Amino acid sequence: MSYQLLRSALIVAFLLAPYPLTAQTAATLSEQFIEMTAVTGYEQTAAEQLLAMLPGTTLDRAGNVVGVLGAGTPVRLLVCPLDEVGYVVGRITDDGYLRLRRVGVGIPNLFDQGLEGHRVTVWSATKATPGVVSIPSTHLGRGRASMPDIPFDVDDAYVDIGANSANEVQQLGIRLLDAVALAKRPHRYGENLLAGPEAGRRAGCAALAQTYLDQPDVDGTVVITFVVESHLRHAGLLVVSRQLGPFASTWFINYDPPERIIDERFGAIKHSDVPVQFSETAVETINLEEVETLTTQISAEIKKHP
Amino acid sequence: MTLKCGVVIRSLVSMVVLFTTTFHASAQVDSRRVEAVAGLLEELTETYGVSGDEQRVRAVVERHLPAWAKPRVDESGNLWVRVGQGDPVVVFIAHMDEVGFQVTELLDDGSLQIRQRGGFYPHLWEATPAFVHTAETRVPGIFMPRDEHQVTPTRRPPTGFRVSVGMSSRAATEALGVRLGDTVTNPKEFVRLAGTRATARSFDDRAGSTAQLVALQSLDLNALDHEVIFIWSTEEEVGLIGATAVADNLGFTPARVHAVDTFVSSAAPVDRQNFAFTPLGQGPVARGLDSSSVTPRAIIDGLLELVDGHNLPLQLGATNGGTDGTPFRNWGIPHMPIGWPLRYSHSPIELMDLHDLVVLSDLIQLIAEEW
Repeated sequence: MSYQLLRSALIVAFLLAPYPLTAQTAATLSEQFIEMTAVTGYEQTAAEQLLAMLPGTTLDRAGNVVGVLGAGTPVRLLVCPLDEVGYVVGRITDDGYLRLRRVGVGIPNLFDQGLEGHRVTVWSATKATPGVVSIPSTHLGRGRASMPDIPFDVDDAYVDIGANSANEVQQLGIRLLDAVALAKRPHRYGENLLAGPEAGRRAGCAALAQTYLDQPDVDGTVVITFVVESHLRHAGLLVVSRQLGPFASTWFINYDPPERIIDERFGAIKHSDVPVQFSETAVETINLEEVETLTTQISAEIKKHP
Repeated sequence: MTLKCGVVIRSLVSMVVLFTTTFHASAQVDSRRVEAVAGLLEELTETYGVSGDEQRVRAVVERHLPAWAKPRVDESGNLWVRVGQGDPVVVFIAHMDEVGFQVTELLDDGSLQIRQRGGFYPHLWEATPAFVHTAETRVPGIFMPRDEHQVTPTRRPPTGFRVSVGMSSRAATEALGVRLGDTVTNPKEFVRLAGTRATARSFDDRAGSTAQLVALQSLDLNALDHEVIFIWSTEEEVGLIGATAVADNLGFTPARVHAVDTFVSSAAPVDRQNFAFTPLGQGPVARGLDSSSVTPRAIIDGLLELVDGHNLPLQLGATNGGTDGTPFRNWGIPHMPIGWPLRYSHSPIELMDLHDLVVLSDLIQLIAEEW
């Protein structure tokens, strides 16, 4: 895979997808969503991919991707979270390594440990650059004090992109605050199982994307949104509410915002999830049949009934 | 590179003055050669071959042998290519196997109990994708996260971990063709980094296997006035098993052996750098000392004398681990291991500089033809 033009390639891949796009199943879309990177507050690349994937959608002032079906009342909101906890470049060392700063809250103890000894992608303005997170060489630890048995922490992370100096890093177009996340490799296994980071939330978004692509004839207006910053302070959701609300109802897909930010502008609240196994790990697993089921359920509920 | 490291050897390592020296400035390497070697290395690293299950790797090596080569596979699965005739007989040996896991039990819930094959930090595999390599195919799965994944305060899984292939019964897993003894790895991908750097798992020792292949392809047979034996060996990571069979077969015949294997470098941000400091991109490394072998100074000096005047960059150093050359020491055969600097050994993200690999292949050719 060429990382030099990965971002452009992803967008082109979506644009070149076989027409009509509605022929894509939510399952296929789930893989595409899991492959995206959308670090909280740095979702622009993923949002661009979505705009290309979902013709007619727009960006709102928060950076949410918004699609509208139908017109008139009632106005209903369907929402899923696009973002993920991730990292940004916090410092570039003189000898060409990147240090990291975590972005987003609410992670399990071993979240950072998923970085150690694994491949990451640095998302700069112009391209995606592969790197790896350093790990002590097994051999060199022999006969010495053993590695401490406490979880790896982001403060331990050195990202090695193969550069020898800060100048080389800059020549590669990498700057402070560029987003960094695990390299995403959705992995199919078993019967209809799909694993990857944030698989449940991304599959929920895939179900919404499929619903939008199907362009069903709906009762009133249905606003479908892929919101940003759910792992920070839910700014994306609040902007949707204030800019496009009030809503008769809001249906949260794999998204459970705190009660304190839910007010009457959201109307009647409903929650649905694509169930997950191995939650909050790099192999969070979904059953693709359940994505199809949720898509069918959403379509049935929003369709205009005779 | 294997991880055998006894107390005596560790003491030896600690007593010896450990050093590295760069003998030449980095030589310019034709970028086309870098790309050629990258292509071969990519093919070899993306082929799976946990110790004892190397046949896929061997098939790739055989496919890239020169047309004139007459390969032979011995009872241990080692691949031999002999060229030239007469003394001194010189042996090069690189291993085909990689670290990984092996299925030890199919459990009632459909998951797989596994054991390690080779030395590495197993927690790096936890909660990652997996492939089970069966007789017929490879079955995708995952290395299961520990049950208490969200709250555990330890780096290492307290009770190890298992593999799931997504089935909920032993019978369903068996129906996929999974059997006891099948090997298990994570998916591998060769990825280019900045400049001539690259990352993948199993550079150890697919890079050595690549260097031997490239050297063999370039060898001037007319320049050979003695016999050179190239071996691609099995089961290095679990006790130098293939190499031991080769050494016992050859006995006192070889005049010298060169293991072509990883030089684990400490030129990385998270390793202590009091020895093994061999920067990437500054050429291959002559390994004077490791955890199971000491090369006599006269042999080292002989190699340095050889490369001097050929504009080949060569670093010298001491590192940990052992190589396939070690069993030859039991027959009194001088051993001069050569390799390339590698970061993050036995991890999913081993990292090296392709420039070093090109020069290493040149070094093998030079030794074969002139030493």
